[in-house]
Formats: sequence, C-alpha cells, structure tokens
Amino acid sequence: MTDEMRDRLTRLDPMRQGVSTESVATPSSRKLLEDIMSTHVEESTAPRTTRWLPAAAVVVVVAGVIGALTLGGGSGEPLSLSAGVDNSMTSCIQFSEEVLAKMPVAFEGTVTSADGETIGLEVDHWFKGGDASQVVINAPAGMEALIGGIPFEVGESYLITANDGTVNYCGFSGVSTPELRGSFEAAFAG
Amino acid sequence: MRPAGSDRRRRFEALAEMVFDPLQRYLRRRLGPEDAADVFSDTLLVIWRRLDEVPAGDPLPWCYGVARRTMANHRRGRRRHLQLVTRLEAEPVPPPVEAGVEDGDPELIEALERLPSADQEILRLWAWEGLEPRELGPVLGLTVNAATIRLSRARKKLAAALPSRDIGQDRAVSGQESVRHTEEQQDD
Repeated sequence: MTDEMRDRLTRLDPMRQGVSTESVATPSSRKLLEDIMSTHVEESTAPRTTRWLPAAAVVVVVAGVIGALTLGGGSGEPLSLSAGVDNSMTSCIQFSEEVLAKMPVAFEGTVTSADGETIGLEVDHWFKGGDASQVVINAPAGMEALIGGIPFEVGESYLITANDGTVNYCGFSGVSTPELRGSFEAAFAG
Repeated sequence: MRPAGSDRRRRFEALAEMVFDPLQRYLRRRLGPEDAADVFSDTLLVIWRRLDEVPAGDPLPWCYGVARRTMANHRRGRRRHLQLVTRLEAEPVPPPVEAGVEDGDPELIEALERLPSADQEILRLWAWEGLEPRELGPVLGLTVNAATIRLSRARKKLAAALPSRDIGQDRAVSGQESVRHTEEQQDD
C-alpha cells in the first residue's frame, strides 16, 4: 500500500523542520523539571482513576447515572448515558441550533465498542457538560446496536447530546458530519 | 512534604530527556505558544505524579496520551473562561501553528478539515507524530485493533474527500492502460 497520503500529510507538519523546541538542558528547562520534582507525590500508591479528571464524577451525577459500567484502558470514570425509549425528546422538537444549544450534555466521540446493549465511546471533544474521556450508552434490551435510528459502528465518530442522562435523537445526535458538527460548533460556541 | 527518592528523580529525568522534544512538538502543532507551554508543564507534572504507571518499553505514546488529555482539559477550561468573560465570536481555541500554507497543498488541507475532528487527529498522529497503529492505541485510549480500524477509516475518508485526481494517480487511470503506464514509468 502506498504511503503517498502519509507523505503528503507529513509535508503539512508545521513542526517538521527548522522549528526549534526548548532543549531539556537549558536553565529554564532545568528549573521546570526541578519544580515538578519538588512537588509532593504519593509514591507507589498510584491511584489509577481518582486523580485524573476529578470533574468526571460531578458530570456523572449531573447527567444521572443509569448503570455503573466501566470501561478498561481509559482514564477517569466513564460517563454513563441511557439510550432511553421514553425520553422527553422523542416527540421530536424540530431541529434548530437554538434548541441544540440548550442541551446540557454534548460531545463528539468515536465508538470503541458496540456489543449489543452498550455502546462505548471515546470522547474526542466535549462541547458542553462533561469532562469524562469515555462515555457508555446503555441501550434498552432489544434495540441492539441501533439506537434511535443511529447505527453505531466501531471506529465511526458521532455527535451526541443528552438531557437528564438520556441521549437525544431527532437530529440532535447522529453520525458526525460536517453539517452536524457545524451546528454543534455554532450552538455551543458560547 | 516528603522529598522524592533519588531513584524516582533519575527515572523521571531520563524520561523527560526522551519526551521533552516530541511533547513540545506535539503541543505546538495543536496550540499557540503560550498555551503549549502551559500544557507542556502540566503534562510533565502529570507524568511525574503517575511515573509508576509509565509503560517501560515504549513510554512516548503513553506520554502523548497524557498530553492529549491535559490539552483537552486546558481547552475546556479556556472555553469556559471565555464564555464567562466575553461573548466574542466563536474562537474558543487559539490557532496552532499555521500548517501547510506555504506548501501549496490547499486541497489536502481542505479535505482534512472536512473530516470529523477524531479522524483529523488520528491522521495527524500518524503522519506528524509518525505513530503506527500499535502506538496510536495508548495515545487515544483504544485497543490496537480499534486504533487500526479508526486509522484505516480516516484514511479512506480523506481519500474520498480529495478531488479524484489526487487519490493516487495510478488509480485514476483506468484498467490495463494503467498497468502499461506504470510499468513504463517505474522510476517516477
């Protein structure tokens, strides 16, 4: 397989050549490292999940915990959302950025697992309402990997909103397309 | 406060020497100089605190993963700050180093920008940081398998987003003619 594409991308690298970085040996680098090494650390106890992303716990409470599922391999507590069947949005308010902007939870994520009843996503970008690096969507039994008409596929990116811990559909969540992302960016730009 | 043991200091210093340059480059590709410097020192601090978790064999992808999450937190904090202070037009993230303008490849830049941000990022990690799928996993918090699938999809999407004449010139030429054509021009 040709790596012509990789070569072309590499030529776009703004740091590819001639752009210097600070050497580890400069006085300011040494001072930075010394400052860091003088900070207190609880050696050998190494709590794996509690130190990273403390805000994640708050988000879980805000969004409503549906299940205490955890995913391995990531950092922090994953945020659990319900795919829901009976959520307040299923009557389908007409899509608008104004309504979108009111969603308390919005992120772009990539599906890392879809095993029938749960969809695992790695968050690539939080627009609003979260800090967790991973999100789990629990599908009600029988809905399999097709939630609210969204065919979740591993490796694919999705834009998701949620309200009261439940994913919104009706165009407020879906496959990450430039159009939908544009709406998210506009709605959550502040 | 308990001073850190000399063994821990030695391990950190050796690691810092290894990752100092690549982490700075990683951050400067994605952030303005001031933000990059802030995130860089925060990243090193996280690495120092989590030194016992650093994989022994190939620590750099793991360190990129720390930088990536630190940067994401930084951006979120910055965005919240901007939302509080001002309602200026949407520019939540400072522009990173301008890429590719002088290289005359606007089609590739435009195609890349049309992809979902996750696809853009995996392609950058692949091309700019030079990571292979097995190294992308620790950066993105994915299994090697998932990272491989994502990279493959992102490559396909980028190829599809490019004008057709750009997608591997040999494929644009049809059928048998292309075979002869290629054979005749092997040293192109």
